[in-house]
Amino acid sequence: MPPARTSSLCASCATALHSQAPSTSHAGLRTFTTTAAHQSAPAQDQPRWKQTPPAMKMAFRLRPRPNQPEWKVNDQQAPLDEMYDSFVGHAGEAAKGQTGVESIKGRDLLPEEVKWLAITHKSFDHGRRGFNDRLAFLGKRIVYLQTSLALLRSPTAAPQVFTTKKERKNENMNIFHHPALAGTENLTAFSKAQVLSPSRLARLAQSYGVDRVVRWKPKKAENLKGSGVETVLAHTVYSIIGALAMQRGGEVAARTARERILQPLGLR
Amino acid sequence: MKRVRLDRWASQLQPPRNPRLQVQRCAFSHETTTLPRRRETEQQRQYITQTQWQCQRRTVSSKRKASTATALQEEGNEVEADTPEPSSGAKKPPTGPSPLYAPSHRLAARSAKLAALHARLSLPPKLPLQTLARCLVDPSADPRTDYNNAPFAILGQDLLGYHTTEHLTCHYPRLPMSVLFAAQYAFVGEATLASIRAEWGVEVVAAPGVEVDAGLLQLKRQVPGNSIVEGTGRRVKDMPGVRVLGARLGGGRRNAEWNYRRGVSSRVVFDDEFGDLIGGEPYAGAQLSTSASEDGSAVEADEADGTTSTPPNLPQSPDDTEATTVSDASASFVRAVAGALYLHAGAAATKTFHRDHILSRQLDLHTMFNFTHPTRDLSRLCAREGFEPPVARLISETGRLSRTPVFVVGVYSGDNLLGEAAGASLNEGRVRAAAAALRSWYLYSPSKVEIVLPSDVEGMAAGKGKVWKPQVIDVGEIVT
Repeated sequence: MPPARTSSLCASCATALHSQAPSTSHAGLRTFTTTAAHQSAPAQDQPRWKQTPPAMKMAFRLRPRPNQPEWKVNDQQAPLDEMYDSFVGHAGEAAKGQTGVESIKGRDLLPEEVKWLAITHKSFDHGRRGFNDRLAFLGKRIVYLQTSLALLRSPTAAPQVFTTKKERKNENMNIFHHPALAGTENLTAFSKAQVLSPSRLARLAQSYGVDRVVRWKPKKAENLKGSGVETVLAHTVYSIIGALAMQRGGEVAARTARERILQPLGLR
Repeated sequence: MKRVRLDRWASQLQPPRNPRLQVQRCAFSHETTTLPRRRETEQQRQYITQTQWQCQRRTVSSKRKASTATALQEEGNEVEADTPEPSSGAKKPPTGPSPLYAPSHRLAARSAKLAALHARLSLPPKLPLQTLARCLVDPSADPRTDYNNAPFAILGQDLLGYHTTEHLTCHYPRLPMSVLFAAQYAFVGEATLASIRAEWGVEVVAAPGVEVDAGLLQLKRQVPGNSIVEGTGRRVKDMPGVRVLGARLGGGRRNAEWNYRRGVSSRVVFDDEFGDLIGGEPYAGAQLSTSASEDGSAVEADEADGTTSTPPNLPQSPDDTEATTVSDASASFVRAVAGALYLHAGAAATKTFHRDHILSRQLDLHTMFNFTHPTRDLSRLCAREGFEPPVARLISETGRLSRTPVFVVGVYSGDNLLGEAAGASLNEGRVRAAAAALRSWYLYSPSKVEIVLPSDVEGMAAGKGKVWKPQVIDVGEIVT
C-alpha cells in the first residue's frame, strides 16, 4: 500500500511538517493611511520587538532544523532594564525637566520599543525585527567627538601660557601659544585609536551586562569571539548612545558618553 | 665697499645644478647627519620623479611660489648652514633647537592672503590669524604636532561628521545605511571638502618652505600614480609596496582572508564615517594587526586588549613624511578650520560654520539609491509593516503597439497608491513604480516643526530657545 503523503516532500521534511503544529497567525493588516477605517487590534497583538512580523515568515518550517545548538537570547524586560540602569547611571540627570521624563534612571529614559531596538543587531532574526545600525552610526560620531574633547582636556607636559621667567626662557618662540590651544598635542590618531578600540569597548560593555541582553545570532555558538562578539558589543554600546541622543537629546548622550564610556576607559 | 662673501656667492655664480642629480635639503636645516643609504636612494628616486613632474607642470605663478631654497643650490657636503640667514621676513633665530619648515607664525599677521581669507570666510576675530596659518600646514609639510593642522583636523572631522550625521538622521530617519554613508561623504567627504577649499580661493604651493606666503596651503605633494618612475619603465602605482587597505591599529578586519566578506553593519565599528576602509596606517610606523595565518613567527606587540603599548615611530622632519594628495590636504585644511573655530570660538560658531558651508550645499538624495529587486523589497516592506501586499496596476498607457509605448503603472497597497512611474514596457513600469514607492518610504522626512537636533539642546545651547522633542527612530531598512 503506498504511503499516504505527497510525493514532492522528502522523508525528513515530511517528519518536520508532521512534528510542527501549524501556527495560526491572525495579525490584523494595518492600512497605510490613518484616515482609513479604524481596525480593532487583534487579541494576540504583541509589541513589535517581541515577534517577527507574521507576514514575513512561513506558516510552517519546511527545511529541517540545522544540526547545531539553538542560540537563545534574552526576551525578558527585567535584565534589559537593569542593563540600562547600570549603563546610564547618573548621566540621566541631564534629562531632568524634559516632558515625559518621570524618573532619570536609565530604564525610564527610553520607550520600550527603542530600548529593544538599540540592543538588536542586524543578525537577529534576519533583520526582520529591525536593527540598531543607524543608532550606532550616530552614537559613534558622538563618542568620537567626546573622545577628542576629552583628549584635549587631558593633562599636557608643556604649558600654553608662560608666567615665570624660568618658563619664558624655555619657551619655544616658533610655536604660537594660546590658552585655547592647550592640549592639542594629546589629540592624535594613535591616542584616539588606543582609547576606542573595539575590544576595549567590548570589555566595558560586558561590565555593564550588555552581553547578557544583546540580541544577535553568532555564526558559531561555541566560538563567540570568532563570530565577532566584540564587534557586536561595541556596535551596541554606540547604538545605546545614539538612542539616547535621538530620544533625550545631545546633552544626555554626551554626558553618558563622557561619564559611562570614556571615564571608565581612563579619560576624564 | 662691502666685503664679498665668497662662500655664499660661489654657489650663485655657478650654473644652476641639475635637481635630478641632487637630494634637496632645506638650507636652514640643522641636520648634519646623513640619511641612511637605502632611504636616500628611495628619497632621491621620489624627489627625482617629483621634480620631474613639477618641471612638466610648472607655470609662471607656481614658479614664484616655489621654494627659493631650491634656487640656492645647497652644497650639502661643503658648507653646513649653522646659522640661518635672515630671510625677507624679519625672523628671529629660534631660542630652542626647533627648525622651521613652514612660515613662522610671526609672519602670519603680515600675510595679505591670510587676512583676506579670514575676512572672506567671516571668521570671528576670536580665531587669530596665527591659528589660521597653522591650519594651512599639512602634516606632510611639517610632521610636528605643534606646528601642523593634524589635531585641528581630527577635531574638525569629528565635529563636521557629528553635525552632518545628526542632520541626516533627524531629517531622514529612514535612510538606508548605504545611502547614509554616501550622503555623509557627499556632505563632508574628502572630495567635497577639497572643492570647498577651491571655492574658498585657497591656493596650494608647489612645494612647502619657510619663505612661502602664510596664506597658502602647504603640503608635500604626492607623485601622481600614473607618472613613470625614473630609471624604470613602470608607473608609480605599479611599484611594489602598496598599502594594505583595512589593516588597522589595535585589531581590525581580517579583510585579506579569502573567505571574509565585509558587510555594511560592521562598517559602523571598523571603518570611517563614510563606510570606507581606513587605508593603511594612520601614521608611518603604526602597528598593524595581521591575520592569524601570517604571523606564525611575527612578534605580536599587541596586548590582550588589542592595543599596542609601544609609542609610534613618528617622523621628525619633512624628509621622512609621506607625501599626500592635494585633495587629502585640502580636506584636512577645511576640517582644521572647523576644529580651530571650535577651540577658539566655541560650539555655536562651529555649528554656524557647518550650516553655512556644508549644509548650504545641495544634495539630491533621491538619486543616490540603487535597487536590485525593488518589487521584492517593497513586498517585504509591506509584509513587515503590516500593509496589504503591493499590487501593480496600469493607470494609463499610450502607444502600446508603437515603437515608443508609455505605460504609467501604480503600485497599490489595497486602495492606497504607494508609488507611480512610467516605463517603456509593462514590466519596466512596474519595477520603476516599486522603486519609486521604496524611495518615498526611505526619504520620509518629518515636518520641520518636529525636528530638533540633538546638538540644539547640548552644552551652551541647552538654555536657549529650542525645547527638546524626541525624534523619529526607524527600525531599519529592508535587508536585501
